[in-house]
Amino acid sequence: MESDDMRDFAAEARRFLDAHAAKAADRAAVTWGEGDDSMAYFSSLPPEEEAEQVRRARAWQRTRHENGFGWITGPPEYGGRGLTPVHDLLYDSIESEYDVPDTGVLGVVGLGMIGPTILAHAQPALRERWLPAMYRGDAIACQLFSEPGAGSDLAAVATRAVREGDDWVLNGQKVWTSVAQHSQIGLALTRTDPDAPKHRGITAFLVPMDAPGVEVRPLRQMTGGADFNEVFLTDVRIPDDHRLGEVDGGWTVALTTLMNERNTVGSEGAGPVAAALSPDHLSALMRATWTWDDRALRGRLAELLVDAMATGYLNDRAQRTLRAGIAPGPERSVAKLMYGQNLTRAAHFVSECLGPRIIADTGRWGMYSWSELLLATPALRILGGTEEIMKNILAERVLGLPKEARA
Amino acid sequence: MSADESGLKELRSSVREFLEAKSSEEAVRKLLESEPRFDPDVWAQAADQLRLPALAIPEEYGGDGFGPVELGVVLEEMGRALFCAPFFATVVLAVQALLATGDREACARHLPGIAAGRTTATLAVAEETGSWDPALISARAIPDGDGGWRISGHKSFVIDGTTADLILVVARTVAGPTFFAVDRTAPGVAAEAMRTLDATRAMARLTFDAVPATVLGAEGAGGRIMADVLDIASVGLAAEQSGGARRCLEMSAEYARTRYQFGRPIGSFQAVKHKCADMLVQVELAEAASREAALLAAEGSAAFPVASAVAHASCSKAYMFAAMESIQVHGGIGFTWEHPAHLYFRRAKSSQLLFGGPAVYHERLLDRLGI
Repeated sequence: MESDDMRDFAAEARRFLDAHAAKAADRAAVTWGEGDDSMAYFSSLPPEEEAEQVRRARAWQRTRHENGFGWITGPPEYGGRGLTPVHDLLYDSIESEYDVPDTGVLGVVGLGMIGPTILAHAQPALRERWLPAMYRGDAIACQLFSEPGAGSDLAAVATRAVREGDDWVLNGQKVWTSVAQHSQIGLALTRTDPDAPKHRGITAFLVPMDAPGVEVRPLRQMTGGADFNEVFLTDVRIPDDHRLGEVDGGWTVALTTLMNERNTVGSEGAGPVAAALSPDHLSALMRATWTWDDRALRGRLAELLVDAMATGYLNDRAQRTLRAGIAPGPERSVAKLMYGQNLTRAAHFVSECLGPRIIADTGRWGMYSWSELLLATPALRILGGTEEIMKNILAERVLGLPKEARA
Repeated sequence: MSADESGLKELRSSVREFLEAKSSEEAVRKLLESEPRFDPDVWAQAADQLRLPALAIPEEYGGDGFGPVELGVVLEEMGRALFCAPFFATVVLAVQALLATGDREACARHLPGIAAGRTTATLAVAEETGSWDPALISARAIPDGDGGWRISGHKSFVIDGTTADLILVVARTVAGPTFFAVDRTAPGVAAEAMRTLDATRAMARLTFDAVPATVLGAEGAGGRIMADVLDIASVGLAAEQSGGARRCLEMSAEYARTRYQFGRPIGSFQAVKHKCADMLVQVELAEAASREAALLAAEGSAAFPVASAVAHASCSKAYMFAAMESIQVHGGIGFTWEHPAHLYFRRAKSSQLLFGGPAVYHERLLDRLGI
């Protein structure tokens, strides 16, 4: 089923990975009572450990870049490989079989969403300055889109940009900004014409995060960790050559980013939370909590596993079509939606097995640690597009239902 | 033997074309009130033109030797069209049971006739409670003294039980549950049609009064054989369910695009839109689970029994959900006799409970997972 080209590419990727990384162990396999029992979905590392993680991410991105896997779909003049998105997805699926540093800090937003936007809309000097740096792992980028008053309705951004000579002056507040504290650049949506219909008065700028007036404050979540930030922009001066797209034409720029967001968010399932959907782990937990033969809980466990495993089969099938060189259909959106729901149901199922042992820590292995996942699950149904927005996309793009009336 | 992607596509389109011509809504409605519950001419054409009964029978027994993947494609199409035919009982239940017994002599005796479309067959397991658990069977078989057996007892929920030429019966012997072959013309067999929730699938109550029977496979091996039969039959049923669920989704989306209320197509209202998106999610999961299980069966993978249990549960849930929500999207006309939605609702509920229902298949999944 695989074409020769795909087979050769896959073989080359495996040769590279074999030379630079070890094969990953089965992350879902757990021996009860042994090892780390963390069930954290979001990282909340101490600052020095987080800095080390960022350093490792940059180093691995550089290794990828030097071996031709740093920017598989990018144009060669900026250090890319000039291949298709299918090659890119194929590489990702092969790399997931290996133990490599987590490059999420660079990849999810910067390389996955902002890189393609800069390529499509930035002026030449900006492209030359930042694209090679980003894909080599030198520059991290963040997305300055959401605001306290503009979440799902992104076109409601209120951060102002006012022209002064060759510069623009930005004032406003952004929120939910992942990795802002590590970023060198941020892609900002600003309001440049308050009188125009809201989609038409927006302009996009690339903001150097070390510019005077940019202030990043960690935003503490209900988990206790701070994965996101608030970014305050106070009289931030940006030269006009840092503008992407036309003046008042920023919505087109935003759409490029959002389209790429859908290609990057989803199909996860590694990391410590893999245990949350592992039949072996869940049955071990039922034994440890003496809920083993509770008929109601067994029924709920089966229902949960049916959806979790069906989601797995959907991913398996998407991978197979991918390897044959065909871009997947709605599977990724469905899988993303289900992933959040499955983990949510798993956390609540487990909390029923645990009973009071999830409301206070008895010190026993693998019990109170589930509170970390429980507190992360509400976010999983919101970030990267709320469930409601994802359903609109499925209904409109896949089923062809009419668009909702929007102001 | 197995077909590649383009072969599967071709198979699907020829089956769909055939069913559009022969199993229109009008044709299905006519059969609902007829006896037998299928059109013998159409069944003969399905056998002669498309060789459907031969599809999944090994070549050594006169079949075309295709596997669960191709069977799944055909069943998805039959599920979409609510095709009334002895296909499910014959090809999915009886043929798979015969093969699972490992009884080569019985296979050689019965399968060529089935492949040629001359013989229809069914499987009689459940009794008064409808359970497919062989441990709960009370029909008994005793040796007749001449090397043969005689079966006595009742069977219920037997699909196509009044018309099938060959009846495979699970009955108890001193060695345990055992599979038997019974000829429907044998003395002592009485069949009575049951009223059914899903009128597109005929069911009967059978009475056996010292009926001569031939043992299939090893005496007492019924428990193990039944587990294999349920694994493969569940995947067949799942394919049929996912096809029906997909059809409910398509009908709903089509209606939501074209039906206007308050000056707008109803599909532009988020409440309706999300209902359709929820159906899509369920249908995509069910289709993936059913097709992946068929593929694992074809590969003889050790992961198949788990995948089969997931497929049955996932497709049962998806079909029931899609059938219910489709009526909701259609509003008032959705619950009229004239609209086809109730036919899918009936099939969905009946299929969900055919092998015992959620409580039973959930435990089957946990059992297959070793939990």
